[in-house]
Amino acid sequence: MPLVRRPGPPPQDLRATAGILEGLASPSEEARWIAARAAAGMAEYATPLAAALGREPAPRVRQAMFTSLSRMDSAGVGAVLPLLRSDDAGLRTGALDALRIMVRSSPELLPPLLDDTDVDVRILSCELARALPGDAATALLCDLLRREEDPNVCAAAVDVLAEVGQSEALPVLAACALKFRDTPFLTFAIQVTVERISSPPPLARA
Amino acid sequence: MVFTETKRYYVERRVMERMAASGSGTFASYFARLRTDTQQEIEQFINAFTVNETYFYREDHQLKCLTADLLAERLRTRPREHGLRIWCVPCSTGEEPYSVAMWLLENWPVVDQYEIEILGSDIDTQALQACQRGVFGKRALMRLPPALIERYFEPVDGERWRIHDELRQSVVFSRVNLVDSAETRPHGQFDVIFCRNVLIYFDEASRRVAAENLFENLRPGGFICLGHTESMSRISPLFTVRRFADAIVYQRPPEGATDG
Repeated sequence: MPLVRRPGPPPQDLRATAGILEGLASPSEEARWIAARAAAGMAEYATPLAAALGREPAPRVRQAMFTSLSRMDSAGVGAVLPLLRSDDAGLRTGALDALRIMVRSSPELLPPLLDDTDVDVRILSCELARALPGDAATALLCDLLRREEDPNVCAAAVDVLAEVGQSEALPVLAACALKFRDTPFLTFAIQVTVERISSPPPLARA
Repeated sequence: MVFTETKRYYVERRVMERMAASGSGTFASYFARLRTDTQQEIEQFINAFTVNETYFYREDHQLKCLTADLLAERLRTRPREHGLRIWCVPCSTGEEPYSVAMWLLENWPVVDQYEIEILGSDIDTQALQACQRGVFGKRALMRLPPALIERYFEPVDGERWRIHDELRQSVVFSRVNLVDSAETRPHGQFDVIFCRNVLIYFDEASRRVAAENLFENLRPGGFICLGHTESMSRISPLFTVRRFADAIVYQRPPEGATDG
């Protein structure tokens, strides 16, 4: 019988806590991978991980770094945010994916992002709201629309509400359209969104 | 495991079942039992939520791919004396790893020329106990022709069959949480991993971690087979998609190739 049963290999060293920083700087891709994974959920390594991301050439190690950062809640958010402005498209995409995961598991992370002083961060954060349940996303984006002065940020929020928005958004959208009545692209987007939210669900039409 | 609002009834039923089984009169008392893990309640709780629907030769196109393509490609790059390691995770009540064993014996002409290790792992300890017993009902055997049942099973009664001891003892079973690298790493590296219909139950963050764990558990150039509705490309960029005549599988890049 060629099927053999044998004892498993000896367990490998699982968490090289003392060697994470050294591992992240190692010339060995495998060592950097192990170090990146070992840092998961350890907020004190958020900054070193983000710094290592900027110089990491191996895609799988980058992936592991983003995965570990995505498990660090607010520390991970702070480390990942600057990467949204990177010239490297891979880093920007990885950062957005990591933020999406963080917001989905910890929705309380999103409001501060929607209130960020950086317009680009607020625009990207509207996109992150798409990952939340409809009622939560509606509430957050309506809060934003009530106070937001930048039409591009409003447009990003309206775009998400077109997909997930609920009827509670209608009066807020109307007020936004009035505020930006001289911005045709935005009033058009609001009109489309209002129509979508207002139309009955397919089952009701049958 | 992630359960959305649509699964509320499913979750409530199982919590109530555990409350009744543990003699907890109120949710508060049951929750306290769970938090303190009294009498291994956490394990019982997890077992209550796992879905163990499976049968022999399920999605056998992947088994065909295994013997037609995957093993041949693995053996081109490895010396014969290194043997082959195959992992079925989750293994539920054992139908899948036993299917792999039977399929190899029936369909791989060179099976006697290699040492083959087959491991089955699951988070559900009750399911693992069933694996060890190796007793199956009619539904589990529904895709097997009578000749195979006669060759590899002995009847227990009119409704159940036990897999032969020789086959039962050739598969190693273990408990594992796919999202915990402390549990996955000790299993070592494999040539082929069957990880079917479990990642769909994880949230996005857990899927990524599980994918990275599975990557570590693959030898460079090794293959992973998912369920027919699943796609690794949507979970992680670590693997390369490989299309064979019988199945689409995912490969850890071979040694020297650029990972990811």
